[in-house]
Amino acid sequence: MGWDRSHQSLNAAENLHTAKKRPMTRRILIIDDEDDIRQVAAMSLETIAGWDVILANSGKQGIERAGKEQPDAILLDVMMPEMDGPTTLLKLKASGQTSHIPVLLLTAKVQGPDQRRFAEMGVAAILFKPFDPLTLARQISTALGWREDG
Amino acid sequence: MVDPLNKRDETAATLPPSPQAQSPEQKLQTMLSALWERSRHTVVERAALLQEAGKLWANDRLDETTRLRAVDSAHKLAGVLGTFGLPRGTELAREAEQVFGQPIPPSKIEIEQLLDLLAELTSMIDRGPVGPR
Repeated sequence: MGWDRSHQSLNAAENLHTAKKRPMTRRILIIDDEDDIRQVAAMSLETIAGWDVILANSGKQGIERAGKEQPDAILLDVMMPEMDGPTTLLKLKASGQTSHIPVLLLTAKVQGPDQRRFAEMGVAAILFKPFDPLTLARQISTALGWREDG
Repeated sequence: MVDPLNKRDETAATLPPSPQAQSPEQKLQTMLSALWERSRHTVVERAALLQEAGKLWANDRLDETTRLRAVDSAHKLAGVLGTFGLPRGTELAREAEQVFGQPIPPSKIEIEQLLDLLAELTSMIDRGPVGPR
């Protein structure tokens, strides 16, 4: 019994050590109408960073999921049918349930005027497509000032 | 109830060889390769639409609906090809997006350049990404 207890203590100590070393699990909501982009981004964030990923395929669904799931950040596509990224962003920022959640815009557009307009709308950062799946989590962490170790 | 939107690509996630022995980066590469194979038909269809639109333009028969669909397809290809390890594909698709998106019809020379560009894009997509990204 004594061995069991000390073994448990050792395991607890190891778990604490591991927990300290393990990066903090983040929850990211990805809103994009493109199935490929959602899949690649989800694979990237889950596999490389170990984050939890929630998916939405439209602005409307994204707003619902953001309110319900309260993610740590939202990765939002700019060009989407029906409700585009900027409109979705404005609705997210107008709601008391979601206004505090940082939003990163994901865009294939690189024009300067667009960037300025997005910045004025309160985005935390703008990430560009095509993104590198190997470094996407790092880009998000850096943009939001998250330490790599949580 | 299973949420179809949140369903992951399980085929990609369980591909050999022994995922436990792979680093996260290697696992991701394996998953991306599987996803590329699954997505290839959509990418090929978009490139085919661009080529068709280019040919219609060369014959002065491109209607507004098809032109706008071409802009959308080129935009989507530009956004995804580099992510799959085809950065040149993204460059070509961006050029095509610009040409199809311009308000005035291009000259004959510009259309010829566009057709060459689209041929290169299609050929690149047919070959697919080569090796690790």
